[in-house]
Amino acid sequence: MSEPILRTERLTKRFGGLVAVDGVDLAFEPGRVHAIIGPNGAGKTTFFNIISGMLPADSGRVFFAGRDITALKPHEISRCGIKRTMQIKSVFPNLSVADNLWITAKAGDGFLHPFRAASRFAEVAAKVDATLEQIGLAAVREQTAGTLSYGDMALLEIAMALVSSPKLLLLDEPICGMSPAETERTVAKIRELARQVEIVIIEHNMEVVFGRADDITVMAQGAVLARGTPREIGADERVREAYLGRPEDDDA
Amino acid sequence: MSRRALERAILVAFGVAMVAVPWLVPALLGSFWVSVIAEILIWSLLAASVNLLFGYVGLLSFGQALYFGFGMYGVGIGIAHLGLSFWPAFGLGIVASVAMALVAGIFAVRLTWHYFAIITVVFSLIFYFLFLTIKPVTGGDDGINFTLPPTFRFGQTEIGLADSTFQYFFILFCVAACFWLMHRVIQSPLGKALMAIRDNDVRASLIGLNIYRLRLVAFVMAGFLAGVSGALFAFFGRYSSASYMFYHVSGEAVVWAIVGGTGTLFGPLVGTGIFILVREVVSTQWQHHLLIVGVIAILIVIFAPKGFVGLWRGLMNRVTS
Amino acid sequence: MEILLLLAMNGLVWGLIIALIALGLSIIFGLLDIINIAHGDFFMVGTMVAWATVQMTGNFWLAFLAAPLIGLVLGAIIQRVVIQPIRNAAALSIVATFGLSMILQETARLTFGAVPKRLLPPIEQTIRLFGIDYEVYRLFAAALAIAALAGFFLYLHHTKTGTWMRAVRHDPDTAIAMGIPAERVYVLTFAIGFALAAFGGAVAAPITTVDFRGGVDILPVCFMAVIIGGLGNLPGTAAAAVLLAFMEGIIQSFADPTVARIASLVLMSAVLLVRPQGLFKGFAR
Repeated sequence: MSEPILRTERLTKRFGGLVAVDGVDLAFEPGRVHAIIGPNGAGKTTFFNIISGMLPADSGRVFFAGRDITALKPHEISRCGIKRTMQIKSVFPNLSVADNLWITAKAGDGFLHPFRAASRFAEVAAKVDATLEQIGLAAVREQTAGTLSYGDMALLEIAMALVSSPKLLLLDEPICGMSPAETERTVAKIRELARQVEIVIIEHNMEVVFGRADDITVMAQGAVLARGTPREIGADERVREAYLGRPEDDDA
Repeated sequence: MSRRALERAILVAFGVAMVAVPWLVPALLGSFWVSVIAEILIWSLLAASVNLLFGYVGLLSFGQALYFGFGMYGVGIGIAHLGLSFWPAFGLGIVASVAMALVAGIFAVRLTWHYFAIITVVFSLIFYFLFLTIKPVTGGDDGINFTLPPTFRFGQTEIGLADSTFQYFFILFCVAACFWLMHRVIQSPLGKALMAIRDNDVRASLIGLNIYRLRLVAFVMAGFLAGVSGALFAFFGRYSSASYMFYHVSGEAVVWAIVGGTGTLFGPLVGTGIFILVREVVSTQWQHHLLIVGVIAILIVIFAPKGFVGLWRGLMNRVTS
Repeated sequence: MEILLLLAMNGLVWGLIIALIALGLSIIFGLLDIINIAHGDFFMVGTMVAWATVQMTGNFWLAFLAAPLIGLVLGAIIQRVVIQPIRNAAALSIVATFGLSMILQETARLTFGAVPKRLLPPIEQTIRLFGIDYEVYRLFAAALAIAALAGFFLYLHHTKTGTWMRAVRHDPDTAIAMGIPAERVYVLTFAIGFALAAFGGAVAAPITTVDFRGGVDILPVCFMAVIIGGLGNLPGTAAAAVLLAFMEGIIQSFADPTVARIASLVLMSAVLLVRPQGLFKGFAR
């Protein structure tokens, strides 16, 4: 068995009396698309927030490709190669689409030149152009990001994650709130990406998960309820009970 | 004519006009107005320092007068107490303000939003009161006067700011150099990183930007601009005074920057120009010019929150489209 | 020793008046998300109203009625005309209130002149207290301030509109969803904030000078009380105001007043950096 790309050990986070993430032990093997599902409040986004450094864990550890990244700051974790998207789309609204990608591609460098014109960094510009083509945003490259359509903004977020050559991509409900057409386009992109980079995806939409993921982790009330292939999860009685069997009351 | 070409033409015309000021203005308006324009140039740097922080990093500093004051006193104390000549005194002013900005920034940029505005004004008040108490060094509210050492010396000939034309060009050169520097920063990778932090600091840290360090860098740069402004003002007035460190001076700079248009290179210059011209024109007839200043500030904030430069851009968009 | 006692007493009295003004600043900050640079000038307006009342009627007592009333009206008008249009741009509110501050100061200078004025207290007796002769008016001022503070807290907790104000401060979205007219609450908050400061001004007028720049020194002290007491913690703000003025009073007995001011400012920066929730979190709620 190879080294897991991402591993957590007894990871715990409390908010007051609520245990949002409760002693989670997980290992994500490389080369597979992982999905985390679970009802609202299961602790999925909190789990991502701890991994990406936005929230400090109360206890437990996070290892990325064998390296302990638990106490690192968000920008340090990002520089290790872990990139994420947010459930509520998060871009730089007053910068152009191209500039969003430009600064994202450059941000990992320790040194940001204070005086040399940004337009003269040819290798970064080439990377931005290639990503714009790959994701299909070339037509809106000069548009201000805040004025993009919802679907384009979500694609821009994925493009931003991609342009920085990530090793691991954390996608938090990437198709949440999209129209069917946008969903189809985005799912196709994600499937394409999965060939180049490790992906962990939080998803609500069952069809997307069962269609694309190799491994599924089910979370409920902060803890891991079940793990397995889509087929195994679909057949699991506990999952059925806790999550699938219930009426659609968690579809916020 | 395209919009870009028009704006470039305006910029060139403006540059030519600024160079022609010492000959044109005395003939048309009187030589008094040359020094008014010089003063506008000096103060526009203080407004630019507010703009660098607010317009490009999203941090509203209400304490830039502190670094202005350090620039001023670096020059004043350097010349009056330490007997420095022109350039070392200038250097002392700039180094003092940059060092102060670094120390204050280490603490201040840990905070954001309203808390940042408050901590910056608190730091400036602490040193304002401190400088009021150490009168033997600072002269307190009265300040210290000094005689200007010459700027250049070639054998027997000395050139100094006593020559008003030379003084104007010295100020114009320093201010233009600072604006050019700021232009370079805005266009650079650093500038883009700062704007990314302004737009969305959570996302900025997730793409790998060290937002604490970048905010600190911007804070020190803003301290530099304010410091140059204060040092020039000390040379210009031949004195340094603690009264320029009070929060009203910081507040006026914020008003100038926002009324001119933050997030634009020349907005602060426009805002500063408008307010100082209003002051100079109105105050000869009526001593309550601040009433007009207050009304303009409120009207702009309500009806044109992007400032005069924003108004201009909106107008250009409508004309060109 | 007498000097120390006198300054400590003065500090205490002054602190109670500051508490009144700082409460106004705190509710405006907490509810409207505005840094009100003009708040010191609201106090100044109160001192001017007191002076004008004495000039016109010869009766100082009327000022205690006139100042808060004028404060309420002016506050409501200013909120509607200046603050409401920029509700969604909090950073701009600093510029707007800075402009407001200039307008208030210059209007006061235009109307009442630039020369600072002294106002005689309506009670001129002194009383023997702990071995010093103490002005009765100052004790009376302290009592008035305490009464106004108590009245304000009673209002917040025992009236419908007071409850609205607490609800909007706590969670504006939910409050609006529950049908609380938030816009009216904003107007009311700003008006009451102005009225508290103006009342403080009227009370303080015979103790301090009546000057169009009188608010400039008050503003930083009020901000210190709000920050040290904890944003949104109204009893904490009042306690911090008294504590600060008392401390400054005591430091003034052996050092320069500016040294006392520097000490409070340093304390305030420490609180901002180490405990931004204020000194009294979980202590007085």
